Amino acid sequence: MPTSTDLLQGTLDLLILQTLALEPMHGWGIAQRIQQVSKDVLQIGQGSLYPALYRLEYKGWIKAEWGNSENNRRAKFYRLTAAGRKQLRSEVETWDRLSSAVSLILGRTVEASR
Amino acid sequence: MITEFLTRLRFLIFRKKGSELDDELRFHLDQSIAAKVAAGLSASDARRLALIEFGGVETTREHCHRQSPAWWAGIISQDVRYAVRGILAHRWFSAAIIATLALGIGLNTMVFTLVNAVLLKPVPLPNGDRLVSVMGRNLVHDDGSLPLSYPDFQDYRTQATSFEFFEAATQEAGVLSEPGNPPQQYQLDRATAGLFSMVQTNAVLGRVLLRADEQPGAAPVIVLGYNVWQERYAGLPGIIGRQVHVGGQSATIVGVMPKDFRFPHGVDLWMPLLPTPDLAKRDNRILQCYGILKPGVTLRKAGAELDAIVKRLTSQFPQDKGRGVSVLTFQQRFNGGGIRMAFLLMLAAVGFVLLIACADVANMMLSRSLNRRREMSIRTALGASRWRIVRQLLIESVFLSTLGGFLGLGLAQGGIHWFDLATTGIRPDWIRFTMNFLVFGYFAALCVLSGVFFGMAPALRSSTTNLVDVLKEGAHSVGHSRGAWLSSSLVVFQFALTLVLLTGAGIFVRSLLDRLAVNPFIPTSQVTIARLQLPKERYKDNEARIHFFDQLLPRLCSVPGVRHAAIVSGGPGMGAGNEQIELENLPIANPAQRPWISFVAQYPGYFDTIHLPLLQGRDFNETEGTSNHEAAVLTRDAAARFWPAQNPIGKRFRLFDDKNKPTPWITVIGISGNMVQEPWENDPKPLLFVPYRQEGWDSMALVVESAVDPLQAMRKVVQSLDRDLPLSEPSRLQEAIDKQVWFLRVFGDVFLTFALIAMLMASVGIYAVIAHATNSRTQEIGVRIALGATVRNILLLVMRRGLWQVAFGLAVGLAAAFPLARVMASIPLGVLRSDPFVFCSVAFTLASVGIFACWLPARRAAGLDPVKAIRYE
Repeated sequence: MPTSTDLLQGTLDLLILQTLALEPMHGWGIAQRIQQVSKDVLQIGQGSLYPALYRLEYKGWIKAEWGNSENNRRAKFYRLTAAGRKQLRSEVETWDRLSSAVSLILGRTVEASR
Repeated sequence: MITEFLTRLRFLIFRKKGSELDDELRFHLDQSIAAKVAAGLSASDARRLALIEFGGVETTREHCHRQSPAWWAGIISQDVRYAVRGILAHRWFSAAIIATLALGIGLNTMVFTLVNAVLLKPVPLPNGDRLVSVMGRNLVHDDGSLPLSYPDFQDYRTQATSFEFFEAATQEAGVLSEPGNPPQQYQLDRATAGLFSMVQTNAVLGRVLLRADEQPGAAPVIVLGYNVWQERYAGLPGIIGRQVHVGGQSATIVGVMPKDFRFPHGVDLWMPLLPTPDLAKRDNRILQCYGILKPGVTLRKAGAELDAIVKRLTSQFPQDKGRGVSVLTFQQRFNGGGIRMAFLLMLAAVGFVLLIACADVANMMLSRSLNRRREMSIRTALGASRWRIVRQLLIESVFLSTLGGFLGLGLAQGGIHWFDLATTGIRPDWIRFTMNFLVFGYFAALCVLSGVFFGMAPALRSSTTNLVDVLKEGAHSVGHSRGAWLSSSLVVFQFALTLVLLTGAGIFVRSLLDRLAVNPFIPTSQVTIARLQLPKERYKDNEARIHFFDQLLPRLCSVPGVRHAAIVSGGPGMGAGNEQIELENLPIANPAQRPWISFVAQYPGYFDTIHLPLLQGRDFNETEGTSNHEAAVLTRDAAARFWPAQNPIGKRFRLFDDKNKPTPWITVIGISGNMVQEPWENDPKPLLFVPYRQEGWDSMALVVESAVDPLQAMRKVVQSLDRDLPLSEPSRLQEAIDKQVWFLRVFGDVFLTFALIAMLMASVGIYAVIAHATNSRTQEIGVRIALGATVRNILLLVMRRGLWQVAFGLAVGLAAAFPLARVMASIPLGVLRSDPFVFCSVAFTLASVGIFACWLPARRAAGLDPVKAIRYE
C-alpha cells in the first residue's frame, strides 16, 4: 500500500483510531491533531490520510457523516464505531507489546556496546 | 469478522460516489489555505503553498478508490464487458467456438454423470453412503465373491463392532403360483428381518418382515415387490392376507414394497430366512451379507476387523481353511472388473474429444490472434500491462467456454437419457443416472479449465507482440507467421487422438458385427426360446424328468403354426457344458492333459429347428442315450480336430466330469456343420451334441420355430402337464441375442459417436489452419501463378504442410492405438477382437478425410485469378 509515509506500516491506522477515540473529527482536523500532539514530529499528508480513512471505513471501524465544521462549512466527520473501539484496544495492546520488546532489545544492545 | 465482512459487502453493492471524495479534498485544501492566511501569508501565496504541499490529487483519488472492496469487481466487469464486445463483434467465429466446446464439455459432463453413478455415487437409499456388501474370499485364487454360511453370518454379526446393521440374504429363483393364476418365476431373496430397517424402508401396503417371522415354526410369509403387485395382481389393494405357493410351499402375503425398491439387488420377492438344520451347516454357503458401517468406520477398518474374526474362526473350524472375507461398496461389488474398465475407457475417450475440441478452438484463436495483433499493440501503447491483456483474453476464452458448457449441459441431459433407456433392464436397478454436486463441480471445472487451456497460448502470443514492429508493419501482411509451429503441432495432436478414438470404435463395431454374423443359418426372427426348471421336489430323478420331457415334446410339435420344436440344454449361442474328453485307443494318463470339449444335450429334432445341416450320418433316434446306446454328433471342426483325415462315424470316445468319473464309451453317429455355442470365448472348445437321455438335466430350454408367436401355446402345453411350472426368460432368439450383445452395441454406439465427432473436429481444424495459411499467402500465390506455376505446383505447395501433419498424426496415433487394443482385449465382457483390418481401415478413413480437408483450400488457391490475388490484402 503506497501511503508515502515514514510511519511504520499500520501505525497510521492506530494514530487515526486513537485520535477519533476522543471525538468525531474531519480529515483536516485529524491531521492537525496528530501534528499538534506529536509536537510537529508526525505530519500526515492528504495522500496517505484519505486512503487510510477510506480503508478504515471499508473495514467498518469508523463511520463517516456529513456535518458542519466550526466555521460552518460542510465537512465529512469520522466517528469511531464499536468495532473500531475494539480494534483500537487490541492495536494499542499490540503496540505496547511491540514497543516494549523493541526498547528491551535496544536497551540490551546499548549495554552490550558499552 | 462478520461485521467487517458485512460492511465490505455493503460497499461492494452500494458504491461510494466519487464526488464525495472531491468535496472532502476541497475542504481539506481550503482549511489548509485558511490556516496559512491566518498565519499571515497573502491569499495567493497561501493558495500556492497549500497546493504544493497538497500534492497530486489524482493519485490520492486512485489510492482511495483502490481501498474499496469493489475495486476488483470494477476491473473484472470492465474485462467482461470487453470480452462480451469481442464475442459479439465476431459473431460467427464465436458461434463456431461455442458449438465446438458445447460438444466437448457436454459429452464430458454426460460421461462423468454416468461414471459417477456407476462407480462413485452412493446407493440412493437412506445410509447408502455407508452401505457395504460382505462376502467370502478365496485366499488362494483371490476370488472375493464367495457366498457365506449361516454360522459365518452369525459369528460376524455378533463379534464385529464396525457395523450398525449386519444382515444376510440368499439369492434364488422362486416360482410364485396359486390356483387360477399361471405360475411365474421371480428373483426371490430369503432375508433376515433387519434388511428393511437397515435401509429405513417400510412397506407401502401391509408390513415388512419382522423378527417374529424368523422364529422356527413361524407361519410362512412373503413380501411382494411393487412390480409383482402391479403386474401379477394388477395393484389389487386387498392383496394382503392372500395365500400363495412359493416353490410348492404355501405362504401368506403380508406386504408390498415401494416402487423401485429392489434391495439388495434386483429382488422381486422377500421371505424370511428360516433357520433349518441344513442352514446351520458351516459348509452350506448360500448367503450374501450386507452391512451399514457405523459413522466414521472406513471400509478398510471394517475389512480388517472381519479378517481378524475370520482368522480366529479358521483356527476353530478346519472347513473354513483358505477363506477370508471381502468388504466392498455396492459399486465395487456389482460394477467392478469389465464394467469399471469400460466406463473408465469411455471417460478417457470423451476426454480425448474435449482435448481435440480445445485444440480446434486454440487453433481458431491463434489464427485470429494474428489479426488482433494491431488491437493489442494499440492497447499496450495506451498503457495496458501485459498481465492485463492476458487476463482480458483469458476472461474472454473462459466466457466462451462457459457459454459452450451451458449449451452442452442440454446435450448431456439428452445423452444421459439415451444411455438410461439403452441400459434399462440390464444395469443394476439402484444405479440412477442423475447429476449431483460432484457432477456440477466437474462441469464447472471443465468450463474454466478448458477456457484457460485453449486460451492460454493465444493470449500469451497476442501479448508478446513487439508493438513497434506491428505498428510499423502497416497494412502489409507477411507470408510467414510465428503461430505456424504451434498450430501444426495442435493438428498433429488432434489427428493422433482421433486415430486412437477411431480404433477403439472400430474394435467395438468389428466385434459387434462378428457376433451378429455368428450362426447365419438360424432364422433368429422365427425361433422362440424359453427355459424350464423342473423342481427337485416333484421331479426327483432322471426317469421322472425324461418322462416329463417325453410327453412334452410331441405336444409342442403339434401346436398349430409350429414348424419344428426341440428341447435342448442351451439354445444356440447360449452356452454349453464343459467336460474333458478321451478318445478310444488314445488313453491319456495325466487327467490335466485331457482336452476340454463343450457339449449340448438335446432331444431329436434340434438340428432341424435351428437349421443346422447334418453333413454326414444322422440325427439321434428315440432310443439313443439310454444305457448301451450312448451316441454323439460332432461339428465338423470337432471331428477334424479329434480324427483328422479319418471317417469319424463309428469312432468312440468318453467324457470325464469334474469329479473325474468317466462316462461309458460314446459312439459318433453324425457330423454337423460348424456352429458357435459360446460366442464370448476367444478360443472356443470343440463342440459336440449328446442325446438328453444321457444327461437328464432338470433345467432345459424349449426351442420352437414358428411363424406366429407361440408363447401362449407353449405355456398352455407346459401347464397342461404341470400346473405349477412357469416358463422363464421367454423371448425370440433375435431378442435374446440382442440382450447378449447389448454391451457391444451400447458401447460401440458411444465410441463411434465420439470418434465421428472427433474426426469432424480434427478435419475442421486442419481445414481452418490450411485455409488461414493459404489466405495469408494469397499475394505470394498470385505471384507464383503469374510467373507460370501450374495447378499441380500450387496444390502441392498448399497441401504439403497439411499432408505432413496428417501423416505424422497418423503415425503417432497408431503407436498409441496398439496398447489401447490390448487393454480392450482384456475386458472380460464380450470378445473385443482387433486385427490389422481394423487398424488399416481406420487409418485409411482418417487419412482420406484429412487429405480432403487439405485439398479444399488448395483447390481454391489453385483457381485464384493472379491479377486479383496480387492486389489482395
